[in-house]
Amino acid sequence: MDATRSLREIAREVLSRDDIACLIGYEQGSYGFRVSPCVLTSPDEAERLIFSPLCVHNLTNYLTLENIGPLAAQDLSKGRIAIVVKGCDSRALAVLLAENGIARDRLFVIGVCSPGVVDLKKLERRFPGAVACGRVELQNGAFFITCEGATTSVPAGELLSAKCTRCKTRTPVIYDVLVGEPDQPKADDYADVAAQEATSMKERLSKWRAELSRCIRCYACRNVCPLCYCSDCTLDRLRPQFIRRTVDFQENLMFHVTRAFHLAGRCIDCGECERVCPQDIPLMELNRKLAKDVKELFEYEAGRDPAAKPLFATFRPEDPDEGIL
Amino acid sequence: MKFEPKIVAFLCNWCSYAGADLAGTSRFQYPPNVRTIRVMCSSRINPAFILGALLEGADGVLVSGCHPGECHYVSGNYMARRRLVLLRRLLEHLGIHPDRFRMSWVSASEGGKFAEVIKEVTEAVRALGPNEIKREQVWMQPGL
Repeated sequence: MDATRSLREIAREVLSRDDIACLIGYEQGSYGFRVSPCVLTSPDEAERLIFSPLCVHNLTNYLTLENIGPLAAQDLSKGRIAIVVKGCDSRALAVLLAENGIARDRLFVIGVCSPGVVDLKKLERRFPGAVACGRVELQNGAFFITCEGATTSVPAGELLSAKCTRCKTRTPVIYDVLVGEPDQPKADDYADVAAQEATSMKERLSKWRAELSRCIRCYACRNVCPLCYCSDCTLDRLRPQFIRRTVDFQENLMFHVTRAFHLAGRCIDCGECERVCPQDIPLMELNRKLAKDVKELFEYEAGRDPAAKPLFATFRPEDPDEGIL
Repeated sequence: MKFEPKIVAFLCNWCSYAGADLAGTSRFQYPPNVRTIRVMCSSRINPAFILGALLEGADGVLVSGCHPGECHYVSGNYMARRRLVLLRRLLEHLGIHPDRFRMSWVSASEGGKFAEVIKEVTEAVRALGPNEIKREQVWMQPGL
């Protein structure tokens, strides 16, 4: 049975219960390969739900946007919020729970063991100008893409999003019901970060000077991040104004270091910041560098354990004294 | 003109600032390149202060606090260490030399060590040359 069918069955059952206010999932978008998030309230709507490699969004973002997002229109006093999460999204949930960003008893988590999602930018480059709704399925290591009446098969590696090629925890870490076959999480080797570390300091500075100079400071990376949910964000503040309004390398450097550093020990590698970046800045390289160092220095990994204390809320006396005189 | 590095040193009130004071009263010689800023604890240091100082034109930044286990606020320096060791690695990844940002532990009785730390930091930064990430477009002085 495929994920969409089981998801619809679960949704019908869940939405007919009294203690569930609404369900956040994915539905077919209006054109091309677009899939859009949706909020359902009645069991009759369950047929709208889909799950495919096009379901790229991390829906947990809506949980912290109760007052301005689609949840604002819902009567949440009726009960819990049901939410569809992939493996990576569930790790965001684990961090939110660890930080008391949301209470577990307000959620009903529908975990999906996702075999991977597509990189929409690559897909749209491959099938330019697709207007009619396309479908994508992942079977036996290949994507079957139905677009304008024809089905093409493409090896998974060519279109798989970068975060999925290195994903080690496809199975959600938190769920109330699970769709798909769970597997054992593996340890991340951070080979991609190690490769960048091997380059010289000069090369890295000129690389980041070029990358960060392109940033137009649209703040999409912050807005889409499920874990950037402070109502008063330091990036917006004028007093103290750490980041001036000029859009150049220096201010962008401050912006991106602040953004990445606020996610140190929290980023769960969902890759949303990189996906929404209109300038294709490799933001995940910074986040993953921090994740690698956090693991090396403090033996801490974000989003594995909802009961673990947040990284910077705790310390060990034996933490390394690296570079301290 | 010969390059003279500018070093911004954030010193904690209880140990390092008193250590710097002792270095002065004990007549220890150390380079005059350092500008000290007294903070109540090394964990007061927001990572944005360090990058901010570099953007403003400092060639090096030093954060100094009490030795581990001796913090006036019990655990402030442990918290600072977690954050700042990580920040140092991130800046290094972005191509900013780790010698531009150092940390040290100097207690109130270590005037000699304070002078040694300042010497070491200043010489390391002098060898690196001027800061390459300084702000270029300074059209506005920040509101004070």
